[in-house]
Amino acid sequence: MYNLHLSTEQLEVRDTIRDFVTREIKPVVLKAQRLEICDRRLPMQLMDQASQMGLRTLALSEDRGGAGADHLTCCIVAEELATGDADVAAALSTTSWLGHLLFDHVMNDAQRERFLLKFVNDGDFHLAFANHETQTDTRLGVNYHRPAPPDVALETVAAKAASGEWIINGVKDYVANAPIAALFTVTVKIPGQPVPKVLLVPADAPGLIVRVHEKPWSHGCCGEVTFKDCRAPADNLLGDDAAALLACFLGNAMPLFQALNVGIGRAAYEAALDFAHLRVQGGRPLIEHQAIGTKLAEIAIRLEVARASVWRAAWASDHPEAIADGSLPDLPLQAVAQIFTSEMMVKATKDAAEIFGAMGVMRDMPLQKYIHDARVCQHNGNGNSDAKLRLAEVIAGFRRSAHLPMALAGE
Amino acid sequence: MDFSLSNEQRSWQMLARKFADDEIRPISLERDAIPTARETWTWDIIKKGSKLGFRTMAVPKKYGGQETDFVTQALVMTELAKADSAISKAFSQNWKWSHLISAACSDDQKERFLKPFVADDTFVLGKGITEPGAGSDNRMPPTDDPKPGLRLKAERHGDEWILNGEKAFIANAPVGKLFFVDARTDPTVPLKQGITMFLVPSDTPGFRIGKVFNKSGWRFYQNGEMIFENARVPHANVVGEVNGAVRKTGADGGDTTGGDLFGDLELSANALGICDDACESALRYGKTARQGGQTLFAQQLVQLKINRMYMMTEALRSFVLRVAWEHDRKIRSCNAGLAMNYSSDVVQEVTELYMDIRGADSGHMDPHTDKLVRDSFIWSHLAGDSVSRMKVTRRITN
Repeated sequence: MYNLHLSTEQLEVRDTIRDFVTREIKPVVLKAQRLEICDRRLPMQLMDQASQMGLRTLALSEDRGGAGADHLTCCIVAEELATGDADVAAALSTTSWLGHLLFDHVMNDAQRERFLLKFVNDGDFHLAFANHETQTDTRLGVNYHRPAPPDVALETVAAKAASGEWIINGVKDYVANAPIAALFTVTVKIPGQPVPKVLLVPADAPGLIVRVHEKPWSHGCCGEVTFKDCRAPADNLLGDDAAALLACFLGNAMPLFQALNVGIGRAAYEAALDFAHLRVQGGRPLIEHQAIGTKLAEIAIRLEVARASVWRAAWASDHPEAIADGSLPDLPLQAVAQIFTSEMMVKATKDAAEIFGAMGVMRDMPLQKYIHDARVCQHNGNGNSDAKLRLAEVIAGFRRSAHLPMALAGE
Repeated sequence: MDFSLSNEQRSWQMLARKFADDEIRPISLERDAIPTARETWTWDIIKKGSKLGFRTMAVPKKYGGQETDFVTQALVMTELAKADSAISKAFSQNWKWSHLISAACSDDQKERFLKPFVADDTFVLGKGITEPGAGSDNRMPPTDDPKPGLRLKAERHGDEWILNGEKAFIANAPVGKLFFVDARTDPTVPLKQGITMFLVPSDTPGFRIGKVFNKSGWRFYQNGEMIFENARVPHANVVGEVNGAVRKTGADGGDTTGGDLFGDLELSANALGICDDACESALRYGKTARQGGQTLFAQQLVQLKINRMYMMTEALRSFVLRVAWEHDRKIRSCNAGLAMNYSSDVVQEVTELYMDIRGADSGHMDPHTDKLVRDSFIWSHLAGDSVSRMKVTRRITN
């Protein structure tokens, strides 16, 4: 049964994080200097606290030491965190979901043996998926409803040394979590093999260099990762299905970043609602004016419908049987949520800022930051236009073979 | 109907285009990127533009200005804004208040203030209305309650007025040499009947500038706090009559002076410049950037976006020039206000479409595209908010 009645645990988690955002995150991130887009560093103290609360290992299964949260719970957490800070929400979500995929699905026992304890016990052990390369164009564009063009081969190459070790050379760009990651999963081309493979590379591997991107249009933190004769042990190679599985990391099954997007809109809404109660113009609080009251109502509608689309997509991922029996449409619900939510949240944050008048554009106030954050979501990855093309292909019944790198375009 | 420009209008437009290309565009992104709000301004560009007449072009010839018509002013604002919206505004803000001087000041005041304004390349004008507790209340004051609205107090002591209070978000405050300031001279009556406009030079004793506001857009353009602590202004600096400021500014929807009339045209003409920049940039990018072995322009989605950008921009141009033409013929209507409201919708949609075409390229946004979108959002609280729209609506019925 399609059921969004949250469990006691889900409600508890939500309220705990809401409290954490109010007490801990907002006092730190709403300081004027951090509202400057050009000076927005990840607050590592808060990241540590969140890690202690179990948010870094939220999606990892319980028997491996995590909280075993399902898709919906992870989305609830991402939204709540993002009402405080989209960057904290993004960095934690990335590690948590990658951790689940890696340790619960992709690694073999020996690999788990080597990395699991460190991941669970070390509070600043973060994960990153190093996939994107500057020259690789994953946009669908002119290839809409056309056979895929020949794949552009990855330029990051892993060659096997005589010792059995992998020697990696290449550059990955705009890698989320790169500046804080302790372990990278890296897509590589292995000479002679047609399909990309994935290697586990610890951040302290000799020859791995991270350069932080200072003002990226993304949430969390990201950087460029250079591999220069970088060595990784022979048994760090993940199984053949790893590339496809990880490609779905931010792909078609998990609306984590859409939940985060809703959180950004909610932060703007809550700020505007408070202000509209407090600020008196025209002889009464702003909210008692039709123009402002209905503006807030429109924001509320956008938030409610957007969250419904996100939760539906998350719930569907938790209940694949509901798609199998036709209860839910066999559409990429995550893409539906992405396009709708990102467009609505830009409108919502702009309207919220407008209620603040001139204060809505000031850098020492959070409203302009919420607008920027919402725009980042709108242009995430290849942006909404490309996402619409992909959705159109599905609707048209055009089946695209799921091999790389086109399959990675969902990132 | 004749849409052609006169030779004089055309030559101003060309002069502005050349100045925008040669001087403004090369510094636009670099000024925008300066993180400290106080440091984004540079006198160099103001001096250069002033020597070409772009600071004083609304001043009557009698006082040494160029006395250009509204059509010319609209054309020049658009050309300058096409290179940098904030720098265009930094020039045209002076026209707004020189219109007000011409329309509302006495001959003695014109003599004392217009002449030094014209003579000094670094003489910049501003006007202080908004206060921390009064924004919308000044623009649409309740008629039955004396409490709402600005609180800056002015009390007469002999030949002087003593001003106490503060203004916020005031354009050009940190750089201006002369300001119009609205103050309460009768706190017992509703705002419209109780405020007086003063001319306040920046070196007035007891008057100083506080913080410079750190905006997300229009970075070059300076907005600051004005602080009045027993500031002493001579009675000779009262503009018009005591308690008569509203009649002069037309805040009751009357459009009785050039200042208010010009302000609406100004925002729509400036927006048009941003739209022109976005359209041309989109077309250039569409024709050069490639995807899948073809230019972006080959894609239907890109063509449709560019179509909408040009369609809205050209509609705005028609509206802006019609309003300017009506102003030159002293045809009074609500069109200036409607054009301003419309420009807010257009400039935001057009720049956002351009941003869509550019895309974020995995995590990188082109700084120029980002700037156009940030600058455009300024319109939300100046030209497109509900108060400004309702104010214009009231003019329809006047």
